[in-house]
Amino acid sequence: MTDVSVNGLTKRFGGVTAVRDLSFDVTPGVTGFLGPNGAGKTTTLRMLLGLVRPTAGTATIGGRRYADLTHPRRVVGALLDSIGFHPGRTARQHLLISASASGIATSRVAAVLDAVGLTSEQADRRVRGYSLGMRQRLGLAAALLGDPEVLVLDEPGNGLDPAGMAWLRRLLRELADDGRTIIVSSHVLAEVAQTVDQVVIVNEGALRYAGPLASLSGPGDTLEDAFLRLTDALERSPK
Amino acid sequence: MTVAAEFRKLRTVRSTWLLLGIAQLVVVAGVSGLMIRNDDRTGSTAQQGAMAHVGLVAIFSLLLGVLAVAGEYRHRTITDAYLATPRRDRVVLAKLAVTVGAGVVFGLVATVTALVTTAAWIGSALSISSWDLWRTLLGGLAWNVAFAAIGVGVGALITNLIAAVAAALAWLALVEGIVAQLLGGAGKWLPFALGSALDGLPGRTNVPPQWQAGLALTAYAAAFVAAAVATTLRRDVT
Repeated sequence: MTDVSVNGLTKRFGGVTAVRDLSFDVTPGVTGFLGPNGAGKTTTLRMLLGLVRPTAGTATIGGRRYADLTHPRRVVGALLDSIGFHPGRTARQHLLISASASGIATSRVAAVLDAVGLTSEQADRRVRGYSLGMRQRLGLAAALLGDPEVLVLDEPGNGLDPAGMAWLRRLLRELADDGRTIIVSSHVLAEVAQTVDQVVIVNEGALRYAGPLASLSGPGDTLEDAFLRLTDALERSPK
Repeated sequence: MTVAAEFRKLRTVRSTWLLLGIAQLVVVAGVSGLMIRNDDRTGSTAQQGAMAHVGLVAIFSLLLGVLAVAGEYRHRTITDAYLATPRRDRVVLAKLAVTVGAGVVFGLVATVTALVTTAAWIGSALSISSWDLWRTLLGGLAWNVAFAAIGVGVGALITNLIAAVAAALAWLALVEGIVAQLLGGAGKWLPFALGSALDGLPGRTNVPPQWQAGLALTAYAAAFVAAAVATTLRRDVT
């Protein structure tokens, strides 16, 4: 049981404030991290993972900053759009490198390939020839490598076809049922509405809502309406 | 464990083997060219000149170092490296250790190539027991090691791979010559000039002795790596 806690997190890039004074807590289960493109979701997740230095505030996992974790990959698995693969390496080589760098047994490589549905034959092909969906599965395999309690997945549905999406939902459900803490970011509420228990909604770098998905909408108000009201619509309505 | 991962990275990309292969072609062609044009192939000057081609392989060691870091930014595998090892200085130092080791290998393989190519031209006249010959070979090896380390620094400072390779090659082909003109006598302390001095070839005037050249190049490498670590620690990875 590992909680993720974000406190007063702020990031300015030059004159642009990408994230402003953001605070929320994430408990075990699946939490949707939602907001339109450019809302600051990715920047927040990168600060959580120690890739981007916050201007102010903290983001901790089980009470510790990512950089202070002794075996970070065994606590947190991450899928980010910014994690690339060398096109000349095979999926297996990529995962062996990750495992070796993270002090994870190489036997985990076959296990995670199996978990994301990449066959042994596919795993020995160069990533250059991979479809977007296969890359996404490889990214998920890398995230699962350390059998982590916390998963941070930035737009994991990207590149997946409908069957892939259904598979991803099942996988996330299974992982959450094991007691893991899963953060799934998306700019499309419908994509995650079937999977998530809790939602954190951000817009323009600031918190709009944090709580159970069920409490997001009221009578005569669909989830989508509520989501739009908390994001775009707010900008358009006169103050 | 970071070092083991870096070693695996190095040997699972083709560019490593391509650079090593092309370097041997350069040595074979360079030594052969020198032998064809030389009336006194078996002379010690010609033989030492042939061995000096090992030092030129340092350009490939430099590119190897640049690729080890800037290549990771290009393919965005650097994110994975920092997630595995949030202490980024450790990542840079592991890259340094592995690339310097590769620089030794590049120098040693080039040494064998230079010796074999020279022997192919002059047979048993090869002065394999000449200290001067080995002095040049050792100098060439040192040049490879120093440039491999400098390459890691350049790649970490200029994380855009194309820009980093262009900057490294432009420095060697053009910029150092111009800067040397401006500096006058002090130009002999610039990196490529120091590498050449490491060859310890006879008949060159106004070049520092091998040991001084080695120390000065080590200082360059240390400065580049220190700057690389300092900027890498601060940089946001987006």
